[in-house]
Amino acid sequence: MNLSQQFINGLVLGHAYALIAVGWTVLLGIARLVNFAHGQIYMLCAFVAWYVTSRLGLPYLISFPAAMLMGIAVGYVMQRVLLLLTLKQDLVSIMIATLGFGYVLQGTAALVFGSTGQIFETPLSRAEVYFENVWFTYQDIAIITATIVLFTVLRYTIKRTHVGRLTRMVAEDPHLAQLAGIDVRKVYLAVFAFEGAAVAVAAVLVAPRTPILTSMGFEEVIVTFVVVVLGGIGSILGSYVAGLALGLFTAFFGALVAPAYTTAAAFAVLIAVLVLRPGGFAARAGEH
Amino acid sequence: MSGHPSLEARELNVGYAGNNALTLSLLAVGEGELVGVVGANGAGKSTLVNSLLGWSRGSPRVSGTVWLGGSRISNLPTHERVRAGLLLVPEGKLVFGRMTVEENLTGMRTTPRNDDRRTYSIADVYDLFPRLAERRYHLGAQLSGGERQMLGIARALRFGPRVLLLDEPSIGLAPRLVSSVLRTVRSLVDAGLSVLLVEQNVRAAIEVVDRLILLERGRVVAEGAAAAMRDDPRIAEAYLGAQAG
Amino acid sequence: MTMAVRVFLVLALVVAGFFAPRILGGSPAVYSACVLIAIFAVMAYGLDMIVSDVGEVSLGQSLFFAAGAYTTALLSTGPKLGPIPAFCGSMAAAVVIAALLGLVTLRLREFVFSLVTYAVVVVAVTFAQNWSFLGGSDGLGGIPPFQLSFATLSFTARNDKELWPVAYLLVLVAIYLVHAFRRSRLGQAALMVHLNPRLATMSGINPQRTRLSVFMFSAPITAAAGWLYAYQRAYVSADVLEVYFLILMLTAVVLFGRGWLLGPLAGVSLILVQEKFLSFGGDVDKIILGGVLIVTLTLLPRGLAGALQPISTLAEAALYRFGNRMPKRS
Repeated sequence: MNLSQQFINGLVLGHAYALIAVGWTVLLGIARLVNFAHGQIYMLCAFVAWYVTSRLGLPYLISFPAAMLMGIAVGYVMQRVLLLLTLKQDLVSIMIATLGFGYVLQGTAALVFGSTGQIFETPLSRAEVYFENVWFTYQDIAIITATIVLFTVLRYTIKRTHVGRLTRMVAEDPHLAQLAGIDVRKVYLAVFAFEGAAVAVAAVLVAPRTPILTSMGFEEVIVTFVVVVLGGIGSILGSYVAGLALGLFTAFFGALVAPAYTTAAAFAVLIAVLVLRPGGFAARAGEH
Repeated sequence: MSGHPSLEARELNVGYAGNNALTLSLLAVGEGELVGVVGANGAGKSTLVNSLLGWSRGSPRVSGTVWLGGSRISNLPTHERVRAGLLLVPEGKLVFGRMTVEENLTGMRTTPRNDDRRTYSIADVYDLFPRLAERRYHLGAQLSGGERQMLGIARALRFGPRVLLLDEPSIGLAPRLVSSVLRTVRSLVDAGLSVLLVEQNVRAAIEVVDRLILLERGRVVAEGAAAAMRDDPRIAEAYLGAQAG
Repeated sequence: MTMAVRVFLVLALVVAGFFAPRILGGSPAVYSACVLIAIFAVMAYGLDMIVSDVGEVSLGQSLFFAAGAYTTALLSTGPKLGPIPAFCGSMAAAVVIAALLGLVTLRLREFVFSLVTYAVVVVAVTFAQNWSFLGGSDGLGGIPPFQLSFATLSFTARNDKELWPVAYLLVLVAIYLVHAFRRSRLGQAALMVHLNPRLATMSGINPQRTRLSVFMFSAPITAAAGWLYAYQRAYVSADVLEVYFLILMLTAVVLFGRGWLLGPLAGVSLILVQEKFLSFGGDVDKIILGGVLIVTLTLLPRGLAGALQPISTLAEAALYRFGNRMPKRS
């Protein structure tokens, strides 16, 4: 086994995991909403991007706005439909409703795009790099770069800008935020839209790595759960670190033990952590 | 100075499944006036505060109108009533524990206005509450009860309120701190602020208010100028209740 | 309504229910639909107990369904055991898995609990698809028909029509168990834990143990559905863990709300009738089913919202029985 190769794989995979999870952790951290449709939104955006490049023949760059539009639209629709439940803070019903949404998205995608797997090829994924004894593509570089940039911008925004302060106030106490004159509903809408946009960007960058299926949303969301719970709910830095750790773990586990059981292994790690520390690695006060 | 009272609530009725939590025909706070609403637990004080802000726990039937400086606000959602100038310093959780004192103060929106509302800059607020200036980089969760009360009021002042609603500021505070906080509020009122003080601690409230309203089981049972209310036997009863409880 | 009238009505309903497929035409399609309705209703009743009574959103109920199905498949094809031993095996498997899962998730926060139970199913799919012991991606086929022999008497169900009495009996038992549970001490305790955990603890109830007990009581019910499903289909694969079953169960439970004992049965009936007789294709069915779930939750409060928010009258009744009064809110 080529250690360096697995390390590179793990690094790329880790950044991919972090990128996919970031929208979800922001939504959970600020609006306390568990979005079970996350995996299906990822899948839908991936298919839109694939359709734009492979079927419509448009340049790869166009798939970014196309997928983001889809992601934001879905996020917006979901938030509008769930609005009443959000304001009542009926988090359980919201959670189950997002399960329903995911199912609807799955059916819709299958109807529109069919049930066969597709390969989403991009000029970046075809451009390979051979360096000493490791191999990767420009797509991988793009994933790592985009993730680092997004996480840095996000962390800065939340900690230092006025908008970030607003979101932190809503995250801590929506009622007190209302008493400070904040339109909490608008913040929830924005956060849902952000989740859609973020997962869209993730899809456009990460989906080329494996074949895409309209049924993949179901499993896709598990890795996000693990990353977010391990990294601490709402913690941007935590998601990054947990994503990286999980990526490396998956790469080495897949190479050393069994590729088919990597998700199971990751899940086992999560269980182990949760049994030992039921609160996960929750972010300390003030830390983001 | 406009001719309207700063805050006015008319025919306010709040009911939960057959029970009447609050029945109020008229409540008014004039400009530069400090009005106190007192009563025991369950008298309807929280219901009053919540209905003024347009927020409710559960699904009550609410009817009546609320006016702020002559404009009707009862059809506005909570955050817009706040932006119109009705600021509540709530009971219990009243500051953001995970943000610093400084952030709590800068986090309040202060949109420029072209009316006569007095705006308090951060410097003004620190002058008023030097303790907060000393602790400006401490997290809200690290402040003592009294400091949190000060920060709650300071945050509200930052917004330039038309009317300040104080919900039971004395809870959990030592008597000396209570009088200190209320004296600061009184000085703000003397400088022109309109305040509605909701309190369980009748003795502390009656020292600073201009007018006092006594609530019992959701209804107004006594009302009048502070001096007159001091001699009212029902207030004496409420005193005893406050002392014994 | 006197007791005698009540009993008569229930008996009449039970008899009518048995003859329902015949009344509705008696064709193989109708019998097939009725058997499936019965099986999935039993599956849903297991979830109903967890969601409506304890108030936990366990998204892993499919695991028990699969446990019942796979145990039955393994025992009937390997050692060639009959339905009764297979049933016992399914029950045992369900209880063991429920105990393990329950202990692991005991102290988790609500939504982390939901995430973990959801993830367990996904992981189980991996095992079902890759482990040759469970048949791998081909699954386990060749399950013999349902056959009971006792001395000289024997009963065989070679098709859905012949399997109907078994299915019907199973759903009656499930409904009775849920009914009995709700009136039992455990059921009352579960409701109190759901509505007000603090008050429940102060009344001498152990919330963790109550949750675990209900979990371990509901698992075999869903597993029983899996047991019969294996015979009905004669084939078990990772399909039984598909998210379809979870959505089906949840929708059936929330559709008619908590107040009605027959709610899950009615819910499953409606959904399957649409699927079997008013379908526009599998993908559209997904959209319909998901849509119904969303609409119920957001627009029909007597559904899940009514089930998961404190119902003050029920609370007072339950607490009064335990000799406590709820403090009045000021």
